[in-house]
Amino acid sequence: MEQKSVKKGIGWDGKTLKEIWEEKERLYKEIGCYYGLKELPLMKEDPLKLEVFASRLLAAAVAGRETTRMISASPIVREVAELAVAIYTPEGDCILQSTGIIIHIPLMGQVIEWMIKQNYEEEEGISEGDCFTSNDNYIAGMHPADIYDIMPIFWGGKLVGWVGTVIMEPEQGALAPGCMPSGATERFVEGLRFSAEKTAVNDRHTKAFERRVRLGCRMADLFFLDRKGAMAADIKVRETIKKVIDEFGVDYYMEGIRELIEIERRAQLERVKRRTVPGRFHSLTTYEIYLSRSLAPPHHAIDRITLVPCDFHIKPEGRYFLDFDGVGSWGWHASNITPSALTGTVCMLLGSTIAYNGRANQGTMLTVEMNTPYDTFVNPSSPNIASGMFFSWPINGGALWIGQQSRAFFSRGFVEEFRSPAPMAVSSGTVGALAGKNHWGMDFGFFMTEQGGVGGSGGFAIRDGITSDPVFIAESDMGNVEVWELVLPLLWMGRRFIPDACGWGRYRSGPTIMGTYMVYKTSLVSLDTSPAGHAEKIGCNSGMFGGYPGTPSFAKVITNANTMELIEQKRPLAHGIIRSPGESDLEQNIRGNIIIPWMNSYVKSIAKHGDFIQIYNGGGAAGVGDPIKRDPALVKWDLDNGLLTIDRCRRIYCVDARYDEKAKEWIVYEEKTAELRNKRRQERLAKGMPAKEWWQKRRQDMVNGNMPLLLKEMYNDSLAKGERWPKEFRAFWQLVEDFTF
Amino acid sequence: MPAISYSKEVIRDLIEGKLPWPQVKSIISGYKDDDRFDKYIEVLQEKVPWKEKILLPLSDELYIVQKGTERIVKCGCGYEFGDYRENWKLKALIHVLETEEELRELYPYPNELDPKYCEIREHYCPGCGAQLEVDVVPFGYPAVFDFLPDLDAFYRQWLGRPLPQHKEFKDMTYELTRKWGKEDETS
Repeated sequence: MEQKSVKKGIGWDGKTLKEIWEEKERLYKEIGCYYGLKELPLMKEDPLKLEVFASRLLAAAVAGRETTRMISASPIVREVAELAVAIYTPEGDCILQSTGIIIHIPLMGQVIEWMIKQNYEEEEGISEGDCFTSNDNYIAGMHPADIYDIMPIFWGGKLVGWVGTVIMEPEQGALAPGCMPSGATERFVEGLRFSAEKTAVNDRHTKAFERRVRLGCRMADLFFLDRKGAMAADIKVRETIKKVIDEFGVDYYMEGIRELIEIERRAQLERVKRRTVPGRFHSLTTYEIYLSRSLAPPHHAIDRITLVPCDFHIKPEGRYFLDFDGVGSWGWHASNITPSALTGTVCMLLGSTIAYNGRANQGTMLTVEMNTPYDTFVNPSSPNIASGMFFSWPINGGALWIGQQSRAFFSRGFVEEFRSPAPMAVSSGTVGALAGKNHWGMDFGFFMTEQGGVGGSGGFAIRDGITSDPVFIAESDMGNVEVWELVLPLLWMGRRFIPDACGWGRYRSGPTIMGTYMVYKTSLVSLDTSPAGHAEKIGCNSGMFGGYPGTPSFAKVITNANTMELIEQKRPLAHGIIRSPGESDLEQNIRGNIIIPWMNSYVKSIAKHGDFIQIYNGGGAAGVGDPIKRDPALVKWDLDNGLLTIDRCRRIYCVDARYDEKAKEWIVYEEKTAELRNKRRQERLAKGMPAKEWWQKRRQDMVNGNMPLLLKEMYNDSLAKGERWPKEFRAFWQLVEDFTF
Repeated sequence: MPAISYSKEVIRDLIEGKLPWPQVKSIISGYKDDDRFDKYIEVLQEKVPWKEKILLPLSDELYIVQKGTERIVKCGCGYEFGDYRENWKLKALIHVLETEEELRELYPYPNELDPKYCEIREHYCPGCGAQLEVDVVPFGYPAVFDFLPDLDAFYRQWLGRPLPQHKEFKDMTYELTRKWGKEDETS
């Protein structure tokens, strides 16, 4: 093991990390290629050798990720796999990354860059066997629950790179429920915070770190085992890279990692030119944040709606540009976003939609630019804001962005790449966060991600959506019930699809798995919807090509439930069986206080043994195409499989059918269907208002200010903050130049 | 490596959703075919009942076509929406869902969608009654211009065959609303 701690010039060529970083920046700025690489000598000389080299690195990252899963005890890691591993250049640029929560890949690089700029090389010392832990979102990151463990890689006494592992923690000592509390408005109540701190030396965690974790959170064993798992991944990757260097030579390694980034930069530009169409796309998201009903301090307990418009440009040179002009103000809540978080978002979106061949890295990121106006929702000016939900735009806005990029794929003919938006987890907060006493009698807090990833996807251009396609992780998994039951005081009563819940369309969104749970062996559980809900009065999504956005997420809680009485009488409980929207076994069988939780808020009752929770996290995934163009054969399939009731089958798809008791299947009446569909078209022509009339009517509403106060405040905020967007807004409605509400 | 190419029949089946999933999967996983756009346009051109040349499809119903010296948005049914640089939604029929009954039909499970805050706008083709887009926006948000393609850059720089009659890449929607505004003043 290398023990050398060098104060100056630990870079491979004797320079300091800061000097190396500055040189890299200068070369890119001056020459326009990564590290100034106009030529790619290794690629030219022996492309297969470079391919083998890249494969070794990629395999190391993937193997590191799997190693962590074997060590961690948290279901979020073992079951749901919310983690990722990446390898970095000495300057902190990603070379290759594993699958997983790749939104963090460039952000771990930003932490490395921050350490370089903060002169860790001299002031902290960077040595073989050190581990730096960070979840400080002022430096970089998405929220404090995602913890980065980063280790340097030395070879021949010089730093040749870094490896980083990110893991999501279900609890990190924040205000109850311990992770992403809805009441957090400042960073000071968000639990354990590591600001790129050295937490291990010689591959061992320091005692100070261990003591801090033991005293700093409710479920220290889970937290600590995740850190060990992360460090195991880092060490495995580090040692593999040393072997790769032994095999290829250190000069080849240092040149090769830079070529891989430049190759990917060029490849991404080429992909864009081959698969899309240049132009301008527009989408918008709104964030409804009602802190007056949560536990925020009075000066932060404000209700607001914030508008985040996004113009997405595909430039003729193949570059992407995201323009957030017109975005409203930041606020004292957990759901702002930072430019850092938006950089991670771009990695996540590109890595799962266009740069998905296993070679995404810093080169991909170099092809994207953004305009994030300072002192706004996407670029707050205070470092003290809570950061529990920097995922706000990434998941809601990111999903809509996927839809806009899909328009470009569709126009170019690559219909198989088309995905319509599915904002899912962040569309409406659901009670996935719990705290209190667990079924072992211990204090606990937990952010359960089981439901986060099993909402249906949006519809595709050529087929129906699938179950489970969250924006934030390409390969989602809800985990095994038995493992969740080990750590949470809940019994899983059912995981089921429910009828009439989708984004209607020619191709509907994928069905969502609803969870039904019974609180188990505890008399003290409080529930929080977390700050993950932003869409209540305003839908979080639009449909595509005439399809509708899907069923909003919802949750139900029944406290003081009569479950024990039912068990004694051997009568049925609830398993999430819904035959039609009005016929749910939860309401039919269980008596108690039924609560439909508000988002961004705690449930104001205590749940105990026998009480019930139900969570549906569909989140508005979109349908694609006019519903009355849906193939009747697909409609029949939905009827036969209990995903559709005959009532909505007739009213939305305009398909008539009857159930054949003998054959045990639905029979579609084709003639009647054609008649219903023709009638619907005539109805639309009769009730549709010419756009000009609609514009005149709505313009009067705008001039007269006929809208709720919160919306007027929202528009005034954006009109005051923006430059281009306010001009377009006023020009659309033909309002005077200085118009405000 | 030989160029990847699929037959027109395969492309037709793909866009019509008739290609078996294993084949679709293989197309997704494989290298992209360089001639896709041209075959795609050929297939679409055969599908529509009119003769104008399709320059770019915008959705499964809408196309930008060359009509004389103009480039206009046209529905599969033949209805013409006008210059592609104006948001076609301002030439469509619009229906805003405003009643609880309409919302409940679409969303029968618990929700707090509120028409005072949120407009769910259905856009229909005035020619055939097809539902072309459904936008969900805060009350009063301008009609969303989903996609304004830079057609000249696309044909000239990416396809290498410039279109006749260069058109400025510019959102012309505001010229239409200015005209409407003036008409309102004079009426």
